[in-house]
This record gives sequence, C-alpha cells and structure tokens, in this order.
Amino acid sequence: MNISQTSLALQNLARRTFRTYALLLAIAIVSGAIFSTSTLMWGVNNSLSKGLSKFGADLLVVPRGSMISMKSALLTGEPSLFYMEGGIMDKIASIKGVKSVSPQLFLTSVEGNCCVMGNAFIIGFNPKTDFTVLPWLEEKKERPFEMEDVIVGAANAYNVGDTVFFYGQNLTVYGKLDRTGVGLYDNAIFMNIERAYAMAEQSYKIPNVVPLKLVRGQVSAVLVQTEVGSKLPFISFTISKDPDVKVITAGNIITSVRQNLVTLFGSTLVLSFVLILANALMISAIFSTIVNERKRELGILRAIGASKMSIFKLIVSEAAMLTSMGGALGVFFGIVIMRVFQRTIIFNLKALNMPYLWPPASSIIMLASMAIVAAVVVGVAGAFYPALQGSRLQPYDAIRAGE
Amino acid sequence: MTNMIDIDDVWKIYDVGGEKIEALKSVNLTIEKGTFISIVGHSGSGKTTLLSILGGLTKPSQGRVHIEGIDIWNLNDRELSAMRNRKIGFIFQFSSLIPTLRAIDNVALPVIYANGGGKTDRKATYEYARELLSTLGLGNKLQSFPSELSGGQQRRVSIARAFINRPSIIVADEPTGDLDMQSESEVMEFFSHNNEQEKTTFLLVTHNLALARMTDKVHTMKNGMLNQNNGGFTV
Repeated sequence: MNISQTSLALQNLARRTFRTYALLLAIAIVSGAIFSTSTLMWGVNNSLSKGLSKFGADLLVVPRGSMISMKSALLTGEPSLFYMEGGIMDKIASIKGVKSVSPQLFLTSVEGNCCVMGNAFIIGFNPKTDFTVLPWLEEKKERPFEMEDVIVGAANAYNVGDTVFFYGQNLTVYGKLDRTGVGLYDNAIFMNIERAYAMAEQSYKIPNVVPLKLVRGQVSAVLVQTEVGSKLPFISFTISKDPDVKVITAGNIITSVRQNLVTLFGSTLVLSFVLILANALMISAIFSTIVNERKRELGILRAIGASKMSIFKLIVSEAAMLTSMGGALGVFFGIVIMRVFQRTIIFNLKALNMPYLWPPASSIIMLASMAIVAAVVVGVAGAFYPALQGSRLQPYDAIRAGE
Repeated sequence: MTNMIDIDDVWKIYDVGGEKIEALKSVNLTIEKGTFISIVGHSGSGKTTLLSILGGLTKPSQGRVHIEGIDIWNLNDRELSAMRNRKIGFIFQFSSLIPTLRAIDNVALPVIYANGGGKTDRKATYEYARELLSTLGLGNKLQSFPSELSGGQQRRVSIARAFINRPSIIVADEPTGDLDMQSESEVMEFFSHNNEQEKTTFLLVTHNLALARMTDKVHTMKNGMLNQNNGGFTV
C-alpha cells in the first residue's frame, strides 16, 4: 500500500492498540445509546403521527370516565368496553362547523367454541358515515363492503378472503388495514355496526356463553370530523357541555404519549449528552498526550514538507477516523440489540401506553448517519485544540523536544 | 555561478528564563549552486541552529535567508513548507524515521506533501525510493520497520528520504554519526556522486574533520559566529 495522509493517520491509530480500542468502545457506547434512544423515540412518534393521521377524526367523543380506557384502546389496541346512548350523534351533528359524525361500538369476544378467538377487540362501525376505516384499507376484495364482512388490522393473523366466526356467525375478511403502530388499527377487527348489534343479540341465544352486554342504539365512541376553518375549541367546548361525555383530541393523545416518552427516554438522552461532553473532553486530553508524545515526529513531518494545515488535518483526521469507526460500531450494536430485544422493547412500550412502529429503513439510515456524524463532530471538536497546538509547533523546537 | 543560498546578517537569540542567549551572531554566508561545504565546530557553537534557520525550520531573530533568490522567511507557511518539501532534503543527527512506517514508506513519505499531497507520480516515487535504498545497501530491508533496523541502517533510510524529491539542497547534521567506517565512506561517496551528477548543493555539519576534508569548503563556527575568511577555507 502506498503511503498517504490517510494511511499515516490509520497507522498512528494502530500504534497504540489498547488506547485506540478503549476510545472506540467509549465512543461506541455513547453513539449506540444515542442512536437506540433516538430510534425508539422516533418509532413512537412515527407510530403516533402515522396512526393518528389515519385516525382521520378531529374529535373523539366518549362516555365520561372512559377517557383513559379509550386512550389505551387507541394506542395499544387493549379491548375496552364502555357505552353511551347513540342519540348524542344528532346533537353533535347539529353543532355549527361539524362536517360529519360516525359511531364506533366496542366489543370483546370470549374464549370458547363460539368464537374463532377470545378477547378479540371487535369494533362496529357504520360504513355509510365512516371516514376512519374504509379509506385506509391496504388490500381488499374487489367488491363493496357487505354485512357479512370484517376488516382486520395489520397485526392480525387473518388475511383477505379468510373466514372467521364470532358468536356463531361466519364472517369473511374483506380487507386488511395498513400497519400504523397504533393498536386500535393494528389489532382490532372491524365489522358493520348493525352486524355487531345483531351479534350481541345472538350472544344471548348461545348456551354457556357470556353474552355481550349492550343494547342496540348504544355506541362506544363518536368520531367527529369538522369543516375546514371551523373552530375546534368551540366545537369541543359545545360538546363538553353534555355532562355525560368527554371529548378527546388527537393532540391530547399525542401530548400525553410524548410526556411519557420524555419521562422514559429524557434521562437517557440527558445522560448521553453528558457522556458526549465527557467523550469530547477525554478525546481532547488523549490527543493532547498524543501530540506531546509525537512532537519530534510532527517536527520531522514539518521538515519534510508538511504545512501547519497538514499537521492539523492529520491529527483531526485521526480523531475523525477513530470516532467514525466508534460511531459505526455503536450504531451496529444498537441495531443488533434492538433487533434481538425488539419483542421485549415493544411489549414494555405498550405497557406504558406507547405505540411503536419501527421507523422505515430510510429513517434508520438517517438516524444512524446522524449518530455517526455526531460522534465525528465530538471527535473533531475534542481533537481541535490539540491539533491546533500540534500544528503551531516550531519544526525545529518540535524535533529537538524528543532529544 | 548562481548563488543557491545567501545568508545575510542572521542572528538567533533565545530567551532562556529572561537571559538572552545569542546562538548566532551576525552570520553571513553565500553558497553557490552545486558546492559541497561543511561546517565544523564544537558542540553549542551554533552549527545546528544555522542549519535549521537556512532549512526553514527555525525563524531567525534577525537577518535574511535567500534560497535561489527567495527570501524564505518572507514566505507564508504553505509556501515555506512547499520549499522544504521540494528544494531541501534534511538529514538529522538522530533517528528521524516514523516508527509505524516501513523503510520504503519512510523514504517515500515526503511525496504525500508534494503538490498539495497526492498528485505526484507515486509509482515513480516508489521506484526511486527502492533505487535509493538499494544504492545505500538496504535493498533487502525495504519492508522493515525502523525497530527492525540498526542505528546505521535507520540513518541510511533517512538519508534516502532526504533525496526522494531530488532536492537542490541537502542539509545534513552529522549524517554519518551512527555509521561504521565503510558505511561512512559509501555514504560520502553517494553524496559526492550526487553533488557532481545532479549539482546538488550540500551543507554538512560535522565534528569529523576527516569528513570535512572531503568537501569543497570548510567553515568553522565558534560561539555563534561563522569564520569570516572569505567564505571558508580548505583543510
């Protein structure tokens, strides 16, 4: 291999293997922590924004006292049962600025022979007024949605064309929704609200089965879409005058999840930034030592034609190479650890009401690049002053320093 | 003949703990292109300081140094570095090799700083590095690291490095210090040959009078002053 400024820098790094590996490890730990934390935060945010944008409703009206259950149902797909009278829809629809309202009815299947699976989150919706389910079908049958059909979320094992049965009724999987990371969409099974009422009535006729306790006409939630330019706070305030209901906005949900997110990851991020600072100081101290150790060598390089800038670049490029390798190593370990423990991570996030969707490859590449660039910036910043000192050495004084 | 080096009233004063030490006192010297001169003198007489000033390594406190008519201490760092790289070859009195590089890479090292780095013909440089090392009896040590070489072999590698860019001036500070008599004579023969064939200007600092006698002119230094007998004398 012919000599070059780069190979010279690499060989200098290889000279002190323990010191180089120790620095690499320190940098890898920090970059790995930053990359993993930011990827997880990005994943939760991504899932929230993607899922809640698909939600399509500006407001969600639920029975008073069921707000926490509703958030849990929305974010994690945890089945929740609560009901209110459907008459509320007419009141809401009459408010100025409301464009459309659509009901949803929450049911849960039971274990046993009556149902294809137990504890399934079944949601009845009205296809005629719906604006939150049908528009987001990723795949579907080439015909209109019918009474005997269901739509499944992306996390569901069933596929288009499969047959499922609940409370003795056979239903065809009409379509499947795109993955959102938001539990309500990924885990639930959607059916026509009329079919849901019929199924609830049917449940009383099946022996040895706990019936679905709801009355035709009741709903669990009312989804509200407003006119463009309408005053959301005014509509929300008007609906909230009804003492039996509570209004939830997408913003409410995002804020509460983000608060949890900050609580969970904030300290990790703060710690990472403290570690970054510590790394920069450590690199600075180590490169000062390196410059001191190599004074004569730097002087010789100056004697054979290296300019001050060349010396500066040599030292800074050593730091940049070291930290970029450390950064890449940290990102690699971060990816491996997140992949190995992905089930545990998602399970724990869900337990904290945080939906999670792995960021797309392009975002992961961007976050990885940012973590590596951050590591390089730390390296360059840390080595900057020692490099400046090294470049300012008088060649002859530097050469004689080693005598 | 053209003047290769003009040293005009050069002073070097060090401030050591508030005390002014005059390492060089009004040194004047003119060296013509292609001459081989030596400077002899006791330790501390200022020989090495003079070499470092005319080689662009130490800034004089006063005075001017011209190389091929260029006032080198008026150049900016980039220009001065380029001049050191292209026009001057240094041979130091101590081991000056980069420990992480093999002998051949140590010799070729100056090329990375030539033309802003990387634009020279690397292949030709490596071929010339091989040729130089072979000429200096190290053809079988091309891939050796400095730690695998004796003191004399290291010295010969650094001599080869000084010639790699075919400089106009070779500045050598006790270049044969670690060499046995035979190697010393071979190195001096190499210098003389180069001096005659390439018209390279040589400045040799030595304690060895026998070595000094092999040069065209010998200057003496004492207490920071260069002898003023019309630019040197023949020993």
